[in-house]
This record gives sequence, C-alpha cells and structure tokens, in this order.
Amino acid sequence: MNHFQVPPSPPRWATRLLHWYCAPELLEEVQGDMLEEFYFQCRHNGVAAARRDYVRNVLGFMRPFAIKRKSSPSYPLLPMNMIGHYFTVALRQVLRHKAFSAINVVGLAIGMTCCMAIFLWVADEKAVDNFHAKGDQLYNVYMNVRSASGVESVYNTPRRYYDSAVHILYEDAKEVVPEVEGIAYYATGYSMPWGKAETFQVGDKIYKLEGSRASNDFLTMFSYPVIAGDPKTALQDIKGLAISRKMANLFFGSPEEAIGKSIRYENKRDFQVTAVFEDLTPQSSRKFEFLTNWDAHLKGGMEWSSNNMEATFLLAAGANPEEVAVKINKLVQPRLDKNQPYSVEIGLQPYRDQYLRANFSNGKPSGGRIEYVRIFSGVAIFILVIACINFMNLATARSVKRAKEVGVRKVIGSPRVYLIGQFFGESLLLSFFALALSLLLLQVLLPVFNSVTGKNLVAPITSLPTWITLIALALITGILAGSYPALFLSSLKPVRVLKGAVQFTQNAIWFRKGLAVFQFGLSILLLIATIVVSQQTSYMQSMNLGYNKENLLYFTIEGELSKYDKFQAFKQKALQLPGVRVIDRSSEAPHAMKFLVDDNDGSAETDEKDESAIKWEGREKGQMVGFKPTSVGFDFVKLMDLHVVEGRTFSRDNATDSADAFLVNEQAVKEMGMKDPIGKWVSAWKKKGHIIGVLKDYNINSLHERIRPLIVDVKEYEYFGVILVRTEAGKTKEVLAGLENVYKELNPNYPFSFRFVEEDYNDMYRNEQVMSKLSNGFAVLAIIVSCLGLLGLVMFSAEQRTREIGIRKALGATVSSIVSLLSQDFVKIVLVSFVLATPIAAYLMHQWLNGFAFKIDLSWWIFGIAGMAALVLALLTISFQAIQSARANPVESLRSE
Amino acid sequence: MKRVYLGEFEEIVLLIVAVLEGAAYGVNIMHEILEQTGRSVRLNQVHASLQRLEEKGMIVSKMSDPTPERGGRRKRIFSITAYGSSTLRDIQQVRATLWSAVPSNLKSFTA
Repeated sequence: MNHFQVPPSPPRWATRLLHWYCAPELLEEVQGDMLEEFYFQCRHNGVAAARRDYVRNVLGFMRPFAIKRKSSPSYPLLPMNMIGHYFTVALRQVLRHKAFSAINVVGLAIGMTCCMAIFLWVADEKAVDNFHAKGDQLYNVYMNVRSASGVESVYNTPRRYYDSAVHILYEDAKEVVPEVEGIAYYATGYSMPWGKAETFQVGDKIYKLEGSRASNDFLTMFSYPVIAGDPKTALQDIKGLAISRKMANLFFGSPEEAIGKSIRYENKRDFQVTAVFEDLTPQSSRKFEFLTNWDAHLKGGMEWSSNNMEATFLLAAGANPEEVAVKINKLVQPRLDKNQPYSVEIGLQPYRDQYLRANFSNGKPSGGRIEYVRIFSGVAIFILVIACINFMNLATARSVKRAKEVGVRKVIGSPRVYLIGQFFGESLLLSFFALALSLLLLQVLLPVFNSVTGKNLVAPITSLPTWITLIALALITGILAGSYPALFLSSLKPVRVLKGAVQFTQNAIWFRKGLAVFQFGLSILLLIATIVVSQQTSYMQSMNLGYNKENLLYFTIEGELSKYDKFQAFKQKALQLPGVRVIDRSSEAPHAMKFLVDDNDGSAETDEKDESAIKWEGREKGQMVGFKPTSVGFDFVKLMDLHVVEGRTFSRDNATDSADAFLVNEQAVKEMGMKDPIGKWVSAWKKKGHIIGVLKDYNINSLHERIRPLIVDVKEYEYFGVILVRTEAGKTKEVLAGLENVYKELNPNYPFSFRFVEEDYNDMYRNEQVMSKLSNGFAVLAIIVSCLGLLGLVMFSAEQRTREIGIRKALGATVSSIVSLLSQDFVKIVLVSFVLATPIAAYLMHQWLNGFAFKIDLSWWIFGIAGMAALVLALLTISFQAIQSARANPVESLRSE
Repeated sequence: MKRVYLGEFEEIVLLIVAVLEGAAYGVNIMHEILEQTGRSVRLNQVHASLQRLEEKGMIVSKMSDPTPERGGRRKRIFSITAYGSSTLRDIQQVRATLWSAVPSNLKSFTA
C-alpha cells in the first residue's frame, strides 16, 4: 500500500462558500491564511479536527468586513474628463459609417416625426370639450330605452306632454336633488345638412347662421367666454338671444354695440341681443353662432328641427354621479307613462367624455372616437418602436467590429461603466440628431397633416413642457435603442475578444431575428389595415346607394318659397332653364333622413294612449316600427332615380294620389309584416290612404345606419323641406347662374345657398377618409422604416461575408446564386412575420368593420397582397445591396488578406 | 493631547505586529497572540482587527511573494506605521504615569 497519499484538503463546499461570499480583493489573503492554518492544524491535531476548524473559520468570516465589496473608486457614469472623448469617438463612428448612421438617424427621425404628429393630434382630440372650468362637475344625461328589441342609448331628455305644455321630467331636479346645482338644456339638430342655417335680419342686413337654443344656466355652467352682457341673465327672458362676436360684428359692427339691440328672426319674431360670446374654438364640439332662450323653444312656438334635447347637470363638487343618477331616476320613474311598451332609465356621463365616447353598448358608454385615438397612439408607438428596433439591430450587428475596441479599452483600464456611458452616449447623440431632424420634418409635414385631418395643429415649440417632453422622448429613445449594445458589448471579456473568439451566441442571433420579425410583423399589420380601410372607404363611396347622387343639388325651402304658388312658379321657371332636368321637393333631405317616428326613443309628444303616428292594416296592438317619413312632390321618384319593385309611383293623372297614396320601401313591408302590400291601408298622423307601390330599398341616411322603413306621401303644399334639382352633367355652372336669378326674383329676402348631395355624402364619411389617408401614410412610413432597418442588416451581413463572397465567386459562383445566398435569411424573416401578423390583423380588422352596417368582406387576397408587397419590398431592399456585393470583383475583396 | 481610541484587543494586535517586525500576517499573528498571552483567538477576529487598524492608519500592508505552503497564494504582510508606534508610546506613557501615582502599598500588594 502506498503511503504517499494525496495531501489532505479542506471540505470543498466550505471553500466554495468562501469564494461565493468573500469580497474578491480579500479572498487571496483570507484563503491563504485559512489554508496555512489548516495545514498547521493537520500537523498538530489531525485531519478531521483541521477540517472542522476550517469550516468554523469559513463560517466565522461571514462578517460584514469580509463580505462587503470594496467600493471600487466610484466611477461616475459621466466622468467629466471623458465626455469630450465620448463625443469625439461617437462623431468618428458616425462619420466612418455614413450609410449606417444615415439609416439610423433617418429611421429614428421618421419614427419620432410620426410620434409627434400623432400625439399632437391626440392631444387636440382630447382637448375637445375639455376646456370648461367646471369640467369636473359637468355631467351629460343619457337615456337608456329598453324595449322588446333591446336597449338604445341616446343623449336626450325624457319629457311628457300634459297641461297643454311639454314638461321635462326632471325640470325640478335643482330643487329636489341637493347635489344638482344647475341644469343646462341644449337642443341639437340645427346644423347642416339635416338642420339648416336660420335667417336673421337687422335693417337690410340679412344673414343665414347656424345656431341653437339653450337654457339659462348654459352660459354660466360652460366656459364660453362672454365678452359683453351678463351671462347669468342673458338667456332668462323669452326674447333673449346670445350671439357670437362674429355675428355681432356682422350686424352691429362691434360686440358692445350689439347689446340691447333687436334682431329679426326668420321674419317671424324679434329677439333682443343680451350677450355676446367669444367665437367658438375648434375645441368645442357644439357649434353655434347664436343661442336663443329655451322657453321660446320649448313653449314659445319656435319650430323644432329635431326633438332631441341634451341636458347637462352641474353637480356639487365631490358629488358621486352614480348616486345622483339614482336620485334622478327616482324622480323620473313615477312621471313616466306606464302604458309605454318600454322603460326609460337615466344615466350620467362626464361631459368631457361625450366627444370621444359617444357609443353605447348595453346602456353604458363604451367607445367612439376614443378608439381612433387609441389606434393611432398605438400606431405612433409602433413606428417609434420599429425605429428603435432598427437602431438596436444595427448596433448589435455592428458590435462584432466594436468588440475589439471594447477589448482594447478594457485592457487599457476602462471600467465597465465608462463603456456603458460611451455606448449610451453614442445612441443619445444619434437620437438627438434624429430629434433635430424630426423637428424640421414636422415643420414641413404639419401643413399636409393638417389638411388631411382637417385640424389646425401647430407645433407648440415655444412652450417649456413641450421641450421637456421632446427631450424626454429623445432620452428614452436613445436609452432604449442603446441599451442592448451598451449592456452587451460592455460585458465582453477582453481576453476572448482580443483572441478573436467573439461569436454571437445562438441567443443573440435569435434576439436579432426576433426583433426583425417583430418589426416586419408590425409593418405587415399596418399594411393590411391600410388595404382594408381604403377598400372600405372606396366601397362606401362607390356603393350603389339605390339612388343617383350625381348632379343633384338642393336648398332649403324658406321665405316666399314656403307658399304653394311661389313654389310652383319657381318650379316652372327653373324647368325652362337649360340644363335642368328634374326639379321637385321633399320634406327631408333624402340622403340624410334622421327624423324617425315611433321608434322607442322614450319621449312622448302626445299623451294619447297607444298612439303611434303611423298605423297600418293588420297592425297588432302595441306593435311599433320606427319609420322615416317624408312628404314629396309627384316627380320625386324620377328625380332620385328610384326603382319601384311593385305597384306604381305617384302620378298627377291619378286624382286621388295627393290625398290617398303612399309609397313604402321593402324594409317597411318586412317590418310591418305585410303580405301583398299593394292596396292595403296605412295612415300617417291624420292622413289615411293606401299603399300604391313598393320602392326598392335605398340608403336614406349614412351607411353607418341600416336602411330603415320608409314611408312617402305627396304633399306639394308643405311649407318646409328642401327643393332638389337634377342637372345635366357638365352644365352645373349655367344651371347655378340661372337658378340664382330665378331665386332672387321670387325670394328676394333670402340668400341663395345650395349644397350638392354628393358633397354632403362625402362629408358624412370624412372620418373614414381621414382614417384611410392616415393609415396609408403611416403604413408607408412603417414600411420605409422597416426596409431601412433591413437594408442596414443586409449591408452588414454582406460586409461580414465579403471574403466568403469573394472566394465563392473565385470558385465560380454566379451573381444570382450569391444574391439568393444573401437573401435567404431575410426572406424567411418576412415569411415568419407574415404568418404571425395575419391572424392578428384579421381579428383587428374584423372588429373595425363591425362598426359598419355595409362592409366589405375580408377576403384572402387582401392578406396575400400585403404579404406579397412586404416580400417584394424586402427583396428589392435586399437586392439593392446584395447585387452590389455579388458583382464586386473578388480580387478586391480577397486582396486585403 | 488628541484622544486615540484603541480597543484592548486592537492594542494587542498592534503590539504583536510591532513585535513580529515585517513578518506579521494573519495566521502568524494569531499564533503569536496564543504564544505570548495564552489567549486563543479566531482568525476572523484577527483579520477584522487588522482591517480596522489599517483604516485608522496605525499599520500598513503589502502583498508578499507567492508562497508554496499556501497553495501559491500571497500573504498580506503588515507593518506598524510611525503613527501606530507613537500611539503605542502614548498609551504606554499614560499607563506609566498612572502606575506611578498608584499608592505603593497597592503596588507591593499586587506584586
């Protein structure tokens, strides 16, 4: 047996424990002492005792003095003497790699510009109706009307007709509910195209202006600045009228002059100007040039444009709106008509939310424009993220080259913080370059953006918070973008780097590929969204509406034209004008019919039981169908190019047609539940008659709404409504000149103001058009930024493989084989991102399309095109560099060896 | 006179460093304390005390050459500074003065 045994050693776990906790700078001496003592003990007391003693020592050293790391000479992240050096190095880097730097800065600048433009827009949207000083206490009333057909929520005020007057059901809320400090009513439905501008006259000055009616608390509750007159009493008197500065200037020259002056309204009644308010800013969703007294509206016999009245409550500071709503409901419930086949419930919504959250689902505010705000905020962040990813991707890819630099710096003695500082410094330098560039871009592009969105955005470059935000943006971007290179590169071990052993780990490669996939996924998502949105928009524009909207103009019946004989005279004269084909009248603008009767909207204008305005043969008791009624002239069907699917249209030859005949549309037949409708009786208000024909369904309102039941009769003597003129194509100018002459002759007290149906129609889809243009723009930008990133990666990969390409070429590879070699990886990236992005895009677009009653199908070719486009663009970008590398003379690339 | 605080154990470690004269390091000091005072102390106590003394500026240290008995590790060799030795002298003097003031019967009694 060999006595030459292995020398005794202390327990390994104890040594490991010591290594773990002991401060590195103390380890050597401490462990040395312990070992020495261990051998000493071995000699004197035996191995076992020595091992025990060693363990005791190791445990004994677990004291703060041994564990605490020496605070390395605290290197500040920004050592003052190094700043100059950082900038020099950063600038040299930027200048040496001009293409990379340009890609980085331009990409980042585009991202930032998008972000800024969108956030300006978002801030502007959020500012709407958010400027009222008492905004925290203002709550808008909405009514949930529950009936057999479900819940409908509307901004309206419940009321009943009794004691020969209309009563608002919570008119005494201010006295009964202590939290309610004020109630303001505001009538809607007076703006174009459905409402109309109203005519005011002072002496020989006549102007048409759009405005509304409001109750006395309106001017004190809302912060529309009153520049003359007393806001507290302005709307108290039945003759009271508040007007805008613009209107005051029009009629009286100045706001001060206007106070107390009389003004004639529609040649019917006189108002007295009691207050002048500042012209409204775009921040107010309500637009009015004037406000008349509320009683004049409710009881004073002024004509109603709609029966829609919005009510806003001013609650005591700190009041709980839900509790108040409960109290109001308690007040209202006993006053409702128990015989109505529906129930009504009141809800309160902060007034400032009304603009962005005007959609309801199941009786609760659920969305609206806020969705656009969210979508675009998301897009802005997406694009910025894409740009940041580019930055990270390029910097990471380049880090192989920088790795040697890092090694040398570390050997010379640079601590890790200095390196982190240097890399962050570089990315911050670039991000501030990008910020400067993006501010320039924003100045150039803002007018374009404004014309698309119809906003009047100004870059608030003079305000301090803006600069703080911008600098924060640049800092965040820079830090985000520089984080990977800064943290990864600075951690490299100098020995391995200088040996040339730096290889990207599989993880790092996955990371880079993942970033590229994410980026392309986002771009493809945006691309799909763009195609869907623009398809839907053009679908709505070109959709067959069921009537011909071209060369059709209309104007309001008013003044002299309200008289039957004057209308007939006008019609005769106008028909003789060259270019006029058909001319007729309708009590409703036929493309924007909003008047809906018998729908369960919760307000009853009569107190007769089970009284609905429209009845028909075979109607069950209590059955209600929401009809859109209109009264027209004999030529209406011809004028609008409508199709009669059954029966016949109105005819002058038929003596009974003006008293007895009704037309309905297919939808009405369906909802009334009629079979063989021709000849069945129907009645509308007091007029009873028979159905003579059924019209093919056509769109009587915007495409957001389904086609509702329509009932049409002939009333040529009605004093209100519109006159419609169908002109011959290309003769609009002559027709307008001629019509104006005839109009002036017959209706001298009113200005001739007309609109084209097509114009109105396009206005109804302004939102969608803006969406479509914006998403086009952003998709293009996102693709550009992504392609810039791809270009950078390809350039890098080509540079890395210069020698490989040279050798392949020398051995006989063709240009195309090298191009495909370089492209393969990237094509895979695009394919993967396509596969990932498609289902998400399909889901999102499906949600968006649900907001339309008439919508396109999400067919596969939309996704196909988006995928192909992304692939083609990516390939073009890649080939830009790949072909260049592939064609390079191998001698050039191999000579450097 | 500036008051210098030196614990009793610290004083012993400092004295031992002075005694060992250029050969003072952890284990060595520990053994020397045992030998000179019969006091058994742990290595970590010695190290902590050395660290404090160095912070106070009474001793300085440098690393020795690697030694085979420690698996090629270096030792940290401590030596006393001028400040350290003047502190020891001060303490010694205070004790001497106090001792001379002690009544002689007590001196002989304890002796």
